[in-house]
Amino acid sequence: MKQLIRHSSHLILVLMMLGCKVQFVPEYNAEIAKQIDATSKMVDKMYLEMLETTTPEQRDFSKFAKAYVSVEVELNSLLNKNKIRPLNEHSIKITELTLAKWIKYKEEHKRDFENDGKYASGNIKINRIYIRDFFNAMIVAENATKIIKQEQNQ
Amino acid sequence: MNFDLNETLANMLGAIKGAVSDNWGEVKSTANQFIDRRKERLELLAELRLGQEITQEKFLSTLEDEKDLLEAELHAIAIISKAIAQNAANAAIDVLSKAVKAALSAAL
Repeated sequence: MKQLIRHSSHLILVLMMLGCKVQFVPEYNAEIAKQIDATSKMVDKMYLEMLETTTPEQRDFSKFAKAYVSVEVELNSLLNKNKIRPLNEHSIKITELTLAKWIKYKEEHKRDFENDGKYASGNIKINRIYIRDFFNAMIVAENATKIIKQEQNQ
Repeated sequence: MNFDLNETLANMLGAIKGAVSDNWGEVKSTANQFIDRRKERLELLAELRLGQEITQEKFLSTLEDEKDLLEAELHAIAIISKAIAQNAANAAIDVLSKAVKAALSAAL
């Protein structure tokens, strides 16, 4: 009897293994990828317009506050969406770093204009490139989940 | 029941190697892309500071941003590595499952 129970338990274990798959990363989310791309374009548009259509003295923070807030709202939304996905600690961290950097650049613009009555083109040029690359890390992270072989998701 | 454990283990190892080598290019191309972008950023940063388009304070503050960006990029690479590990582990499990299924079918 003991032998029968042992063999049965082995058989159950084997049968369980037949349907077993491991998962280390979340599944690809096309909606999040699209939102990252759209938000990245909003940032690029804001910085390019600031550079091309205004002088440093015309860059009163209040003129751009709405655009800064719109991006911040999108980043908060991305962070919340990432937080509810399981196995997603890396994307959460990347989004947190991106959001913190965006808030830092927003505060810098506000402070510089209040203190000096201008906001330097050099700051815009360098911030644009850094924030672009934070967004790039976000999209690379999302697209990485596409590497997962399709048959494993079935 | 005909089940050759050594052959199955060898096949599992082969499946792991295959899954890793299929995706290794993804890590390499991403790492190269990150290095190229870093070069572009640091060139621009140096150019802006030398041209006095940014202050020394902004220059130092941006170097701090560089550390955070490196951290973000390493997290992105970690996801790629985990995805590759997932493919490899599941490829090995597939080999084992098929071998056990075949042995069970032969025995029943």
